[in-house]
Amino acid sequence: MKRLALALALVLLVFVALSPASLAKESLNVLYMAQAGYQPDDIRAMADLFEFLTGDSVNLTFVKYDEQHEKVVASAVSPVATYDVILLDLIWTAEFASKKMVVPLDKYITPQMKKDIAPAIWDAFTYDGHVWAMPFLANFQLFFYNENMIKRAGFAGPPKTLEEMVEQMKAMKAKGIVKYPWTDSWNEKEGLVCEFVWLTGAFGGDTFDAHGKPVFNTGAGLKALEFMVSLLKEGLANPKCLTNDENAASDDFVSGNAAFTTNWTFQYGLMNDPAVSKVVGQAKMGLIPVAKAELGKSKYNTASVSGFQGAAIMANSRHKDLAWKYVRFVTSPLVQRAFLTEMPVWTSVQESAYAQTIDKTLPIKSKEIASVHHRPKVPPYPEVSSILQRYIHQALEMKMSPKAALDKAAAEINAVLARPK
Amino acid sequence: MRRRRSEPGPRRLAAWLLAPSVAILALVVVFPLLFALYLSLHQAEPTGGGITLQWKGLANYTQFLFHDDLFWPAVRLTLYFTVVSLLIELALGIGMALVLNQEFRGRNWVRALVLLPWAVPTVVNARMWQWIYAGANYGALNGLMHTLHLLPPQVDKVWLGFDVPFQSVPILGALMGWLGATDALHMIIVADTWKVTPLVTLLVLAGLQTIPGSLYEAAQVDGASAWYRLWHITLPLLRPIILVVLVLRTMELFRVFDIIYIIMQYSIRVVGVYTFEVGMKFLHFGAGSAMSFLIGLMILGLALLYVKMLYSEDSY
Repeated sequence: MKRLALALALVLLVFVALSPASLAKESLNVLYMAQAGYQPDDIRAMADLFEFLTGDSVNLTFVKYDEQHEKVVASAVSPVATYDVILLDLIWTAEFASKKMVVPLDKYITPQMKKDIAPAIWDAFTYDGHVWAMPFLANFQLFFYNENMIKRAGFAGPPKTLEEMVEQMKAMKAKGIVKYPWTDSWNEKEGLVCEFVWLTGAFGGDTFDAHGKPVFNTGAGLKALEFMVSLLKEGLANPKCLTNDENAASDDFVSGNAAFTTNWTFQYGLMNDPAVSKVVGQAKMGLIPVAKAELGKSKYNTASVSGFQGAAIMANSRHKDLAWKYVRFVTSPLVQRAFLTEMPVWTSVQESAYAQTIDKTLPIKSKEIASVHHRPKVPPYPEVSSILQRYIHQALEMKMSPKAALDKAAAEINAVLARPK
Repeated sequence: MRRRRSEPGPRRLAAWLLAPSVAILALVVVFPLLFALYLSLHQAEPTGGGITLQWKGLANYTQFLFHDDLFWPAVRLTLYFTVVSLLIELALGIGMALVLNQEFRGRNWVRALVLLPWAVPTVVNARMWQWIYAGANYGALNGLMHTLHLLPPQVDKVWLGFDVPFQSVPILGALMGWLGATDALHMIIVADTWKVTPLVTLLVLAGLQTIPGSLYEAAQVDGASAWYRLWHITLPLLRPIILVVLVLRTMELFRVFDIIYIIMQYSIRVVGVYTFEVGMKFLHFGAGSAMSFLIGLMILGLALLYVKMLYSEDSY
């Protein structure tokens, strides 16, 4: 009996000694994506530096972009968060905020921080008057073109308008320079909505109005889908676009099988890497062209789509203060200056002589980021996006006319938005 | 007296030994099932720190059965996928098992090799076929077609396209469109069949080995042809095994998710993909649970149908 008591006492002692309260340092769990944006090595390096400076430890979990949403939800519904800090895609802002899964960060954000980040970026993470994530990744789409093919087709430079681009593509096709001059990510996923959003912007409109109601089935949205369908009908867009995600579209372009595409910022590095690209020196990055009728209507005559991601703190995290310290650190101008592989969110860093010397594409990126269009900020966004994806895809498969597809999508989205919360 | 007293001993021991398994089963099977049933009767949405519940009765079920635009097309598509896959798997599986049941040199090697695809994890299989079918210059199937001069050098076929097969054939084309069959779906059937046929072969081979050779010898003495022997001896005696294959594979095929989701995401909306979308993407846990139960009931119905059709007390 005595022996048993002694053994129990020993076990208890070990537990007490190892309990979190007895450890001076805290531990943070962070969820990040291993896909676009900063690559895992960079994120690990940032975390190592944070650990060195604070003495606390950071456990990083990397998953694919598509797996993040369900992991965050699973963590949010449990009594104690699996992850303290998550990467919040701007399309989840309304959903996670309305479900109280993340905490508002207003009390941490100073007027100076507010001033140094563009309103368009803050806006992406603002819902119900509160900021729910600290801007971290300023991702957006850019225009990529093969200069060599343009010259062979007899043109001096990249197109300024969508109409010019079509003319160049027809010439390329006629001369046999490339079979399908246009490639894109039009598979039935979120990327398809992104493509539709910038194209609607290029025709001078937005997909949803200021109140979050769909307006894409008339005017610019309809013209955008008709344009996409016409590219397929005329054999200018590769039919495999319908099954392409962003990586597959990028592969088409860097392997020299397309003259034009739009994609996220990551493609710039890939197309200039001789290990994977056949178009090094021929491939260039520029501003996305707009419709001829829209020239002169916007500051830079371009339109893009935002893919901003922020760092957010889970509402059920037990380490919220430390989580903020970490968020503040990895999103700081200092860290972003040191990791210029991604577009910095801070205006002061974007405009610094250092950053402009290191990244020669910053002037183009600054113009494009100032011309982004957002996807709607509505709580049932995944459902809204799924409906839009389905009907746009039906039109691209030529199973519905663009007008009928968008009308049906708008009606179904209105029904989802009207559902009682 | 002593014997009677010792009788409950082994029973109690058995109960004690079974208790951990029963407890684990209750925890990981019974409790989640009952909880899912409970959720299916509610509007259940996740929120920070828990799930909000609102009683809905059978509304989640009736919504799918009578008011949802995507549910029945998903059921039709899944049934088509299941039936076509099953027919191909059974035909190939029985054929391969018959060959492997013959005596020939290196038979054990061939039997082991045939099993290899079954050892490939589904996710790896899906990614592998995705690369095989890829439309750009790195697609292995297009590469092979170019090498064999079956496709002109500049032409890449889109294997995972959305064209409806036999579209120009009057009734068949309309039927295919109604079922939701596309080129991509057929390519996925090929990919899935490649992986699963070895399992069917193995099961049928096991069944073949239980058929006594004397039956064939007697039939041969009576002058029965090979075809007659297959039709009147082999297939009838394989019925119990075919029943097992049908039930097992129908269950797996009807709830297919991984290979389709990995290759096509939501573009091929079979019931498994649709359930995941409703439950885990739209976060309607109640509706998602209701759909899971509807799928379960459909599989149960099919299994009962098979048993009724194929179960027999025949013995030899």
